[in-house]
Amino acid sequence: MGTSDLDRQIEQLKRCEPLTEAEVKALCLKAMEILVEESNVQRVDAPVTICGDIHGQFYDMKELFKVGGDCPKTNYLFLGDFVDRGFYSVETFLLLLALKVRYPDRITLIRGNHESRQITQVYGFYDECLRKYGSVNVWRYCTDIFDYLSLSALIENKIFSVHGGLSPNITTLDQIRVIDRKQEVPHDGAMCDLLWSDPEDAVDGWGLSPRGAGFLFGGNVVSSFNHTNNIDYICRAHQLVMEGFKWMFNNKIVTVWSAPNYCYRCGNVAAILELDENLNKQFRVFEAAPHESRGVPAKRPAPDYFL
Amino acid sequence: MTKAAEAWEGPTAAELKAAGAEAIPGGVRVKGWVIRSHNGPILNSASLQLFEDKLQTTHLPEMVFGESFLSLQHAQTGIRLYFNALDALKAWKHEALPPVEVPAAAKWKFRSKPSDQVILDYDYTFTTPYNGSDALVQNPDSIQTSLDEPRNLCWEDSEDRIDLVALSAKEPILFYDEVILYEDELADNGISFLTVRVRVMPTGWFLLLRFWLRVDGVLMRLRDTRVYCSFGSDEAKPIVLRECCWREATFASLSAKGYPSDSAAYGDPNLIAHKLPVVMQKIQKLKLPN
Repeated sequence: MGTSDLDRQIEQLKRCEPLTEAEVKALCLKAMEILVEESNVQRVDAPVTICGDIHGQFYDMKELFKVGGDCPKTNYLFLGDFVDRGFYSVETFLLLLALKVRYPDRITLIRGNHESRQITQVYGFYDECLRKYGSVNVWRYCTDIFDYLSLSALIENKIFSVHGGLSPNITTLDQIRVIDRKQEVPHDGAMCDLLWSDPEDAVDGWGLSPRGAGFLFGGNVVSSFNHTNNIDYICRAHQLVMEGFKWMFNNKIVTVWSAPNYCYRCGNVAAILELDENLNKQFRVFEAAPHESRGVPAKRPAPDYFL
Repeated sequence: MTKAAEAWEGPTAAELKAAGAEAIPGGVRVKGWVIRSHNGPILNSASLQLFEDKLQTTHLPEMVFGESFLSLQHAQTGIRLYFNALDALKAWKHEALPPVEVPAAAKWKFRSKPSDQVILDYDYTFTTPYNGSDALVQNPDSIQTSLDEPRNLCWEDSEDRIDLVALSAKEPILFYDEVILYEDELADNGISFLTVRVRVMPTGWFLLLRFWLRVDGVLMRLRDTRVYCSFGSDEAKPIVLRECCWREATFASLSAKGYPSDSAAYGDPNLIAHKLPVVMQKIQKLKLPN
């Protein structure tokens, strides 16, 4: 696959026009070759702009690129959850993947808990692939790629980035490096925790969610992890925050959320975190794409004769 | 959710006139009722803090539409029915059901526990028995001060039924809205969703307050409150019926009946409702204040 083909595909995807199934297959094979070489703790150089969940909100991701600048001029790190819930998971993920193949050193994609076969069958991506392609092959190609996505990123050895959070089975970054990540997200264990766990003000150490599964971690856990690994703070995503970003535990961990007007109804703003070459931080907050740029006019819902 | 394809410009002037109705901002005035709704964004941090203080908990749904409401007020009698997130969450806090375990919990019991692990214990499904708020408004035009303690309305058990046949007629719609009160994704283990929908016709208004819960692989729960007012002949004496219907089923019990066992099959509560057995049902009529 040449760069001219890729450039044409990127331009096509930027118009929210999906690729053919054969093109998706070829793109995924190329992406696999690149991603297989990445570490579970992928090294990222500053300056870099960190992005949280996108959840298939393609036009809002275009707003993100307007605010943060186009790749490759801007170096990007996306913290997973590219798919599900929004209407355009296919175009969203394929555009990010095509940018990864075209500019492998200028965009880093790590895995979210939605980059999973089981989750995407319930929350939208599977149905969207079936609707847009008439078969599940594209879903299979994409979910195979999910298994190759890195689990975390380390920026200038100082800022640790992950989708969900920490694990009681992990105290050092080297323990993440030795995980065999090329698998479906397991239901428990360290790899599960990195993609699923959440910070919790109500505990100092570890907590168990009332669901009976899912770890919650408190300020002491974060302090200990940051100290042991000599990092300044953790940047994670995974949870909706109304203001786009939220610091916790005396600025030892920050949640970045990048899906504005989440699910097309929450009315929230979104944010990306820009780090300059000296790791100075600036949060860039943005709103949902205006209706005109979505290709469909705003409509009042039709009345429903519900009973 | 809503079909994106269809669009509606609201009732026509002729429809409003024929019904003796008047469009007002965010609602409609008809047969002595003022019916209004508002859809706001989810709470920001400052407002969320207020809710947490009022509810005495830091664990609230991810998406609390704290400014959203539906209000139905009858001028002559002072009846006010309204629906909002704060009161619904007060009812959730009060009911305090035990938490539901997700399928992975079985495996997690065998994980080695951190020595200081704390088990959080609250109803993360946000199941609420809320069936609406009501008040008797003494002077509808005055701004209520904290000294005016509103009286609650009186609902009496009733043998009457909501006339679903009449409600099936495709009358002109004078006002329609769907208001989300709160929503939680249960950390990607399902959905908890509280909405109220209202439609106003020349012959009456009808609303459905629906709490919908799916814990993936475990449980589905539906708590519906239907309220119907037929305008009838005497505008001064509205007849208001309220039906509460609670349904619940485990995935295991549905699977035993031959229904699908995967969560993807259960995305739309409208298609599922009748598969879930009724666990509680109650019909009440609003007693008119003197």
